Amino acid sequence: MAEDVTMKTTPLFISQSYLTTESNKTGSWRFLRPRYAEKTAPCSAACPAGEDIGRVEMLTAQGLFKEGWETILRENPFPAVCGRVCFHPCERVCNRGEFDEAIAIHNLERFLADTASRYELKPELEVLASKKQKIAVVGAGPSGLAAAHFLTRLGYKCEVYEAASEPGGVLRWGIPSYRLPVKVLRNEIELIKSVGFSIECGRRLSKNFLREAGERYDAVFLGCGYAKIPQMKIPGEDLPVVADGLSFLESISRGENLQVKGLVAIIGGGNTAIDVARSVLRVGGKPVLIYRRRREDMPAFDDEIAMALEEGVDLRELRTVTRIERSGSEYLLTLQQVEVAYLGADGRACVEPVPHKTETLRVEKVFKAIGLQALQDWYNPPDEDSGSLRLANSVLIHANGGPAVVYGGDLTNDVKSVVHAVASGKEAAIALDVFFKEGLEAIPVRMSQCVVGMGPSLSMEIYVKGPRCQRSSHIVLYEEINADYFQLSPRIVEPRLLREERIQSFAEIDLKISANLAIKEAERCFNCGLCNQCDNCRLFCPDLAVKKDSESHGRHIDYDYCKGCGICVVECPRNAMALQEEN
Amino acid sequence: MRLDVPDRDYMYSGHVGCPGCGAAIAMKFVLRALGDKTMMVLPACCWSIIAGPYPQSTLQIPVIHSAFETGGAVASGVRAALDAKGDKETCVVTWAGDGGTFDIGFQALSGAVERNEDFIYVCYDNEAYMNTGIQRSSSTPYGAWTTTTPGQDWKKMRKKNIVEVLVAHRIPYAATASIAYPEDLTRKVAKARSIKGSRFLHIFASCPTGWRIPSETAVKIARMAVQTNIFPLYEVENGSKYTINFMPKGYLVKEYFRLQGRFKHLTERDLDQIQAMVEEDWQLLLRKAGVRLQG
Amino acid sequence: MDDVDPTPTRVYPCPTVSEIEGAMKKVLEGSHGVAEAVRLAKVKVISAYPITPQTHIVERLSDFCADGSLPARFLRVESEHSALAALIGAASAGVRTFTATSSQGLALMHELLHWASGARLPIVMAEVNRALAPGWNIWTDQTDSLAQRDTGWMQLYCETGQEVLDTTLQAFWLAEAVNLPVMVILDAFFLSHTYEPVDIPAQEDADRFLPAYQPRFMLDTANPCAFGQLAPPNIYMEMRYSIQQAMDMVLNRFGEMEEQFVDVFGRCYGAVEPVQCEDAEIILVTSGTITSTCRQLLQELRAKGERAGLLKVKLFRPFPTEAIRQSLGKAQKVAVVDRNCSFGAGGIFAQEIRAALCNLSDGPQVYSYVAGLGGRDVTTDLLDEIYRQTKKQDCCPVESIWMGLREVSYAT
Repeated sequence: MAEDVTMKTTPLFISQSYLTTESNKTGSWRFLRPRYAEKTAPCSAACPAGEDIGRVEMLTAQGLFKEGWETILRENPFPAVCGRVCFHPCERVCNRGEFDEAIAIHNLERFLADTASRYELKPELEVLASKKQKIAVVGAGPSGLAAAHFLTRLGYKCEVYEAASEPGGVLRWGIPSYRLPVKVLRNEIELIKSVGFSIECGRRLSKNFLREAGERYDAVFLGCGYAKIPQMKIPGEDLPVVADGLSFLESISRGENLQVKGLVAIIGGGNTAIDVARSVLRVGGKPVLIYRRRREDMPAFDDEIAMALEEGVDLRELRTVTRIERSGSEYLLTLQQVEVAYLGADGRACVEPVPHKTETLRVEKVFKAIGLQALQDWYNPPDEDSGSLRLANSVLIHANGGPAVVYGGDLTNDVKSVVHAVASGKEAAIALDVFFKEGLEAIPVRMSQCVVGMGPSLSMEIYVKGPRCQRSSHIVLYEEINADYFQLSPRIVEPRLLREERIQSFAEIDLKISANLAIKEAERCFNCGLCNQCDNCRLFCPDLAVKKDSESHGRHIDYDYCKGCGICVVECPRNAMALQEEN
Repeated sequence: MRLDVPDRDYMYSGHVGCPGCGAAIAMKFVLRALGDKTMMVLPACCWSIIAGPYPQSTLQIPVIHSAFETGGAVASGVRAALDAKGDKETCVVTWAGDGGTFDIGFQALSGAVERNEDFIYVCYDNEAYMNTGIQRSSSTPYGAWTTTTPGQDWKKMRKKNIVEVLVAHRIPYAATASIAYPEDLTRKVAKARSIKGSRFLHIFASCPTGWRIPSETAVKIARMAVQTNIFPLYEVENGSKYTINFMPKGYLVKEYFRLQGRFKHLTERDLDQIQAMVEEDWQLLLRKAGVRLQG
Repeated sequence: MDDVDPTPTRVYPCPTVSEIEGAMKKVLEGSHGVAEAVRLAKVKVISAYPITPQTHIVERLSDFCADGSLPARFLRVESEHSALAALIGAASAGVRTFTATSSQGLALMHELLHWASGARLPIVMAEVNRALAPGWNIWTDQTDSLAQRDTGWMQLYCETGQEVLDTTLQAFWLAEAVNLPVMVILDAFFLSHTYEPVDIPAQEDADRFLPAYQPRFMLDTANPCAFGQLAPPNIYMEMRYSIQQAMDMVLNRFGEMEEQFVDVFGRCYGAVEPVQCEDAEIILVTSGTITSTCRQLLQELRAKGERAGLLKVKLFRPFPTEAIRQSLGKAQKVAVVDRNCSFGAGGIFAQEIRAALCNLSDGPQVYSYVAGLGGRDVTTDLLDEIYRQTKKQDCCPVESIWMGLREVSYAT
C-alpha cells in the first residue's frame, strides 16, 4: 500500500467489530430438525366422545372458562350431565396419575358447565350450511339428543320424537336428582336444542313409522333405550310386592311422593340397582342390595357403589334369589349362597351354588333391577347382514330404496353409559353425513380419518377440519412428559354434603367448586401433547432461533439459524414438539 | 406455567457455538438479567470464538476480549476508568470459563476480589478447557475423561471448590447457578447487579461436545447435576451467610454419570465412591448453611 | 559514581528558570520527575506493582492520589501482568493511563505488551532499566527493555532527570498522536535515585503542550462494539501493517512534537543528539546515563586533538534510521557501547545500527562493545579504552567485545 507521508491521521485498523453475526446462517449445520408437533392426550382418546380434554384444562387454567366450555361442547353437548354422572374413563388413563394423582377432569367439566349456566352464557358453535336431507330422531334420550344436535350442526334438518312428557330419557327418568338435578338437565337440553331443532314430546311412535319413514325422511335415528326390566323367571315374581326398579325411579323423578318403610330388597348390581337402593334410603326405607357375584364384578360404577355403601346400603354379595313368597304382612325372600367357580374370560366370576346354604330375608318390598330391556321389539337393531354397517357404538342399516336407519344408544353400545350414548349420536351424524355425500362404502374410511388417537372415539372438530386435525394421532405416554417441570401437588378434594345430610333428601350431593380451586386443579394438567405457550422452547434455545410471532401469542422456529440441537424438544414439558431428520 | 424470566434478549443468532451449547444458554440468561448498561470483559475461553470473527459480534453490549489470565485485572481497569469518568450506571462484568477462573486466571481473580473491585465475575463452567479441545482443568470433576486424562489416567483429583475460595475472600456476594434453573439464575444476576463490590457467579453450563452427551440433553443433564447434589444451588453473602436455594430429593449420582460418555469408563465401585464424595460435600455445605441434618 | 555535570553542553538553547513563568526548579530524584510528569498529564488510572528500583515512582504517585493533587484511580494490583491488564481495560474505556515497572516485572508483562500495542492503546510506561535474574541484580542494565523491542511499543532512552520528566510528558503526546504505547526508559539508580535540579512545569503550560485526552475509540454502551474479536488470516496482516504505519508516522511527527515542546518549555532533545560528529573520524554511540560520562570523555579527547564524536541515541523504537545514517554516515569508524546483550548475537544497539548502515556504499565500520551489565560502572577510563581499541584495529570484528571482564573461576 502506498503511504501518504503527509497524513495527519494515523491509520488505525484494529479488531473492532460493529456488525452482527446474523449474516452467518447457522441453520446449514443442521442434520435434525425440530418442529411443533401437537399430539393426542391419552384422556381425549379414552373419552368415548373424544373430548379435547387437554385443551379444555389448558383454557380453564388460563381462566378462559367460556372457551373451555365451548371446547367441550364441540364434542359433547352434555358437559353439565357428564361432569356429574360420567364414569370418567379419562381419569383412569391420565398421565398425571403416574406422577401423583390424576386430574379431576369430571369436576372441571362440571365446573365449566355450571359457570356457563350461572352467567347464562350462550355458546358460539359452528353450524354448517343447510343441506336438503331431513332426518327423524326417535327418542330424546342422550343418544337421540346428541344425534339431533350433531346432525343439525352439520346442516341437516332434524325432527325429534319423544314418547314421554319431557325429553331426557334415562337422564330424566333413570338417574336420581341427587346425582343429576332436573333443573341442570333441563338447562342443558335447552342449550342442545338451541342449535336449531325441536322436540315433539308425548308422541309414542309405532312400528309403522319406520316403514313409512322413507316418504318424509332421508334417514331415521333410533335411540329408544331401555325402559323396562326383564323377567327374573323365579317363583313369586308376579307378586305385588315386586316392582320394576326403573318405574320406581321414574315415579320419584315425576315428583310423586313415595314412602317406603322397612327392609327393601333390591336385586341387581348395575347402576340402576344402586340408584334404586340409594333412593329407597331417601324415602325412608332400609335397602338391601342382593347381587349374585362379587362386588368387584358389579357393572355399576365404582364411585357409585362406594357412595351407596357409605350411605348405609347393605350389600349381600354372592347371593341369588330363588323364590319370593308371602308371609303375613311381609314377604320372604329365599337367598341361595353361591361361590366363585372360576373366572370367566372377561375376568368376572362365574358362580355356582353352595349346596345347602340358603337364607331367608323378610322384606316389605322388592325391586327388580336386573338387566334392561327395550320397551318394544322394533327398537332393537335387526341381526346384522350384508346391508348393515356395525360401527363402534351404533349400527347403520341401509335397506335398498329405504331411508338409512341408524340404531344407537344403550341398545347398541357395549358399555351402557351416557358418554357412550353421546358417542353413538355423533357417530350416527358423521356416518349419515358421509352416507349422503359419498355412500355407505365410504363411511369406514371417513370415520377412520376423524378418530382421536387410535379410535374408536370420533372428533367432530377433526371431521370438519378444525385446527385439531393438525395433531398427530400418537398418544403421549407418561415417559414422554418432562416431569422435571412439575411439582407434586394433591388432587382437589371433591366437596360433598356431609354423610348425614346426604340421605335426608334428594338434594345434589356433590357441591360446586370455586373458580380458583378449578384453576388450581386445571393447572395440574400436563396438557399432554399440546402447546400451552409456556415458552420453554424459546427460553432455552441457545441460538435464539425460536422467535415470537408478531401477530399472535405463538412462536415459530427460524430455520435460518436453528442448529437442530433438540433442546427445545426435550425441554417441552408436554411433548408438543418432534425432532425429525433434515432432508 | 411460564417461567418467570426477563424477556428481552441482548445477543444475536448466528454465533458459532456448538449445537446445544450450555455456555450460549448461560450468556443468554445472564444478559437478559443484566440489560444493556453493561460492559463485558471476555478473557480467552469458548466464548472468545463463539462471539464470532471480526468484523462481527454476537453480543449487543460493548465487549473487550482480553488475554487468558486477565479477567479480573482488565475488569478492574475498566471499572477504574468508568469511575474516573463519573459513570455510576454501567456494570462491568467479566465472562470467563473455568480455565480462566480456576487456573490461569485465578491470581488476577483473587487479586481483584481481595481489593473488592466493583464488578461481577461470572464463571461459566463446562468443566474442562473446552476451547482448546477438552483438556483437563481443576474444575474437571473426579472421574472424568479428558484428552489430557485419557484411559486409565482419568482425573483422580476432586473438583476445586471455587465458590468456597471466593467466599474466603469475604466478598459481598457469591453464588452458584445453573442453566437448567433460569428463574434462579436471573434472580441471582439481578441481585448481584444491585450490590457494590466484588460479586461472583459460578454457572453450571453443560457441554455436549466435551461431555459426550446428545445435544438435546444439555439442559436436562444440568438439571440432574443439581438434583443429585453434585452442583448445589446456593448463595453466600459477605463470606458467612449461606442460603441453600434448592433442596433436591437427591437422585442417585449413578444416573447422572451413566448418561455421559465422559464417565463411561467408571465401574460400580468408582460410582459408589463418587456417591460418597458427593454426600460428604453436601453434608459439609449443609453444616455451613446451618441446616439441621436429617436423620 | 562518577560526577555528572549538571549543565551539559547542548546544541539547543536551555533557558534559565526565570524565563519560565510559574515553573519551579526543584532538586528531584529521577523517579519523582516521572511522578511529576504523570501528575501534570492528569492521568486518570494508574496501575502498578512495586519492584525495585521503580518503587519511588509509584510511592510518589500514591501520595499524589492520596492528597488529591492527582485525582486518579490507583489500582494496587497483585502483579505486573495484572497491572498492564488493568490498564488495557482502562485505556479501552477511554481514559489516560500510566504504569511503571522494571526488569522481572517488564518480563512478566511481555504477553500484554504485545496486546497493548495490538489494541492500539496509548498507554505510557516508565521503565527503569534493571538487570534480569537469576543472580538477583537490581542495578542498571538495558537488556530488559531491549528484550521487548519487538512488542510494538515506542522506546525512549533518557539521560538526565530533566529529560526524564520532559520525555514522560512527551510520551503521552506521541502515544495519543499515533495510538501506540510508549516506554520512557531510565537507568536504575543512576537516574531513578539520583537527585538533580529539575524544572517542574506549571500546570497551564503542561496543558498547553498536552491537551485533554480524546480517545479515538472506546467501550461505550451508547455505541456498543466488540474489541479484539477473532482476526482470521484474511485480515490480521492489515491490522499489523497499520501498527507499522503508526510507527513510521512517529518518525514523521517527532519533529512536530519537539517544536511544540520547545514552544512551551524551551527545551528540545532530538531523536538522536550528535555531538561534534560532523568532522569526526570515530564516533562513539551511547544511550542512557553512559552518555553523560561520554560527553566528559569527548571533551578530553578533543582537547588532545582526537577527531572524536558522540552520538546519543534517544529514540530506539521506531528506530531512527535516517538520523543514524546522517549522523554516522561520514565517519570512518563507529563504536557502539551497549549496556545489554542479545545472547547468540551481541549488543543490540550495535546490531540495529549495523543494519541501518549496511546499504550505505561508503559507510563506517561499526564496532560493538558490551559494557556495564548488571550495574557495573562505565567510567571515562573504560570509554577511553573503547575509543583506543576502535582506533587501533583495522579489521572490525563481527562479535561484540565485552569490556572489563574479570578473571573468575567457574563452579563445576
